[in-house]
Amino acid sequence: MTETPTPAPEPTERYKTLIVVLTLITTIITAIVATLQADANIRANTANRDSQYYAILVSAEMHRSGLQSTYDLNTMAKVLVEKQTALMMEFTALQSEDKQGTALSNLSALAAQARADILTNFSVFFTDPRYAPKTTDGLPDGEAYLADLSAKANEILEKQNAAADDYHKWSSKADSYVGVLTVIAVAFFLLGLAQALTGRMRLVFAIFGGVILLASSAWAVLILVV
Amino acid sequence: MLKRLNESPRLDIFIAIIIAIVSATTAFAAWRASMVSSAAGDAIRQGLIDAVKKQAATSEDWRKLYEEAGHAQTYAVTLAQVEAFENSEDKTAQAQASNMRQYLLPSLQLVADPLTTDEKYFKSDGTYDLDLRFADLEADAPDLAALDPQASFKLSDQYSSEQRWLTVGVVLLAISLFWLALSQLSMKRSRLVTLAIGVGIYLFGLIWFGLVELIFFSMRGGAL
Repeated sequence: MTETPTPAPEPTERYKTLIVVLTLITTIITAIVATLQADANIRANTANRDSQYYAILVSAEMHRSGLQSTYDLNTMAKVLVEKQTALMMEFTALQSEDKQGTALSNLSALAAQARADILTNFSVFFTDPRYAPKTTDGLPDGEAYLADLSAKANEILEKQNAAADDYHKWSSKADSYVGVLTVIAVAFFLLGLAQALTGRMRLVFAIFGGVILLASSAWAVLILVV
Repeated sequence: MLKRLNESPRLDIFIAIIIAIVSATTAFAAWRASMVSSAAGDAIRQGLIDAVKKQAATSEDWRKLYEEAGHAQTYAVTLAQVEAFENSEDKTAQAQASNMRQYLLPSLQLVADPLTTDEKYFKSDGTYDLDLRFADLEADAPDLAALDPQASFKLSDQYSSEQRWLTVGVVLLAISLFWLALSQLSMKRSRLVTLAIGVGIYLFGLIWFGLVELIFFSMRGGAL
C-alpha cells in the first residue's frame, strides 16, 4: 500500500494564514499604541493646564510681593530719613547762635523724631524680630527679608517649571506615538498588498510588513520606557 | 452541519448585520470619547479663566490695600507730629499743631478712609490692621472670591480619566470589528470561532463602555 502525498496548498492560499496573523498582531499593536497616545495626550493636557495655572499664580504673587516690598522699603527709607533729619536738626540747634534759629531747629527735630518714632512701628524692618537689627546701631536684615519675600513665588515657580517639563515630556511622547502609528499604517498597507498578491511576492511583502511592524513596536516600547 | 452553516448565506447576512451594529457602536463610542475630551478641555479653559479673574481681583485688592496703607501712614505720621507739637512748650509749635489738627488732619483722614476712620482697623501701636482690611476688600467682591479654579480642574481631571477608559473601550470595539471582518471574509471552519471571538469582544467592550459611563456619571453627580 502506498501513501498518497499531501497536495501542496494552492498558490493563491499560500502564506495567507501568516498574513492574517500578522494583520491581527498589527491591529492589536495599533490599538495599544493608540491607547498610549491618547493617555500621553491627556497627561500633556493636564500638565499644560497646571503650568499655565501656576504661571498665573506666580505672576500674581510677584505683583503682590512687588507692592509689599515697595511699601516696606519706602517705610524703612522714611524711618532712616526722619531719624537722620532729627539728628541733623538737633546738631543745628546746638550750633545755632541765635535763639530763634535754635528754637526752629529744635522744633524741626521734634517733628522729625515724632515722625520717625511712629514710622518705626509701621516698618517690618524694625518690628519683626526676623529682620529687626540685633544691636542698637545695627542694620535690618535685608537679605532675610528678600528671601522670605520671594519664597512663595519661588515655590510656585518650581511647581510651574516641573509642570512645564512634564508637559514637554508627555507632548513629545504623544507626538512620537503619532509617528509610530504612521509607520504602522505603512505596515498595514504592505500586509494588505501581500494579501492581494500571490506566490513569492506575497511572502516578500509580508516580510516587509513584518519588519516594519517589528521596528515600530520597538520604537513604541522605547517611547514607553524612556 | 457545521460546514453547511459556515457556507450559509444567512450567516453572511447575520455577520453583515453584526458588523453594521458594531461599526455604529464604535462610531458612537468614538464620538462620546471625543465629547468627553472636549468637556475636559472646556473645564480646563473655564478653570484658567476663573484663575485669571480671581488673581486679577486679588491683585487689585493688594494694590488698593497698599495705596490705602500709604495714605493711612501719612495720616498717622502727621498725627504723631501734631501730638508732639501739642505736647511741646513752644507756642509756635502749639499754634501750628492746632492749625494742622483743624485743617490738615481731617483731609488726610478722609483720604485714608476707612483704615483711619473705622476702629476695627486700629492697632495698639498706632498702626493699622492691613490683614483685616485685605480680608474685607476680598469680601467686598464675593462673586470673584467664590471663583474656584480647582473645582474646574477637578472636573477636567474626571473627564480626562473617563476619556482614557473610554478610549480603551473604543479600542476593544475596533478589535471586535476586526475579528468580525475576518469572520466575514473567511469560509473555513474557523469562521464561527472568529465570529464568536468578535461578538465576545464586542459585548465585553460594550459592558466596559457602559460601566465607565455609569461610574463617571455618578461621580459627577449626574452630569454628562
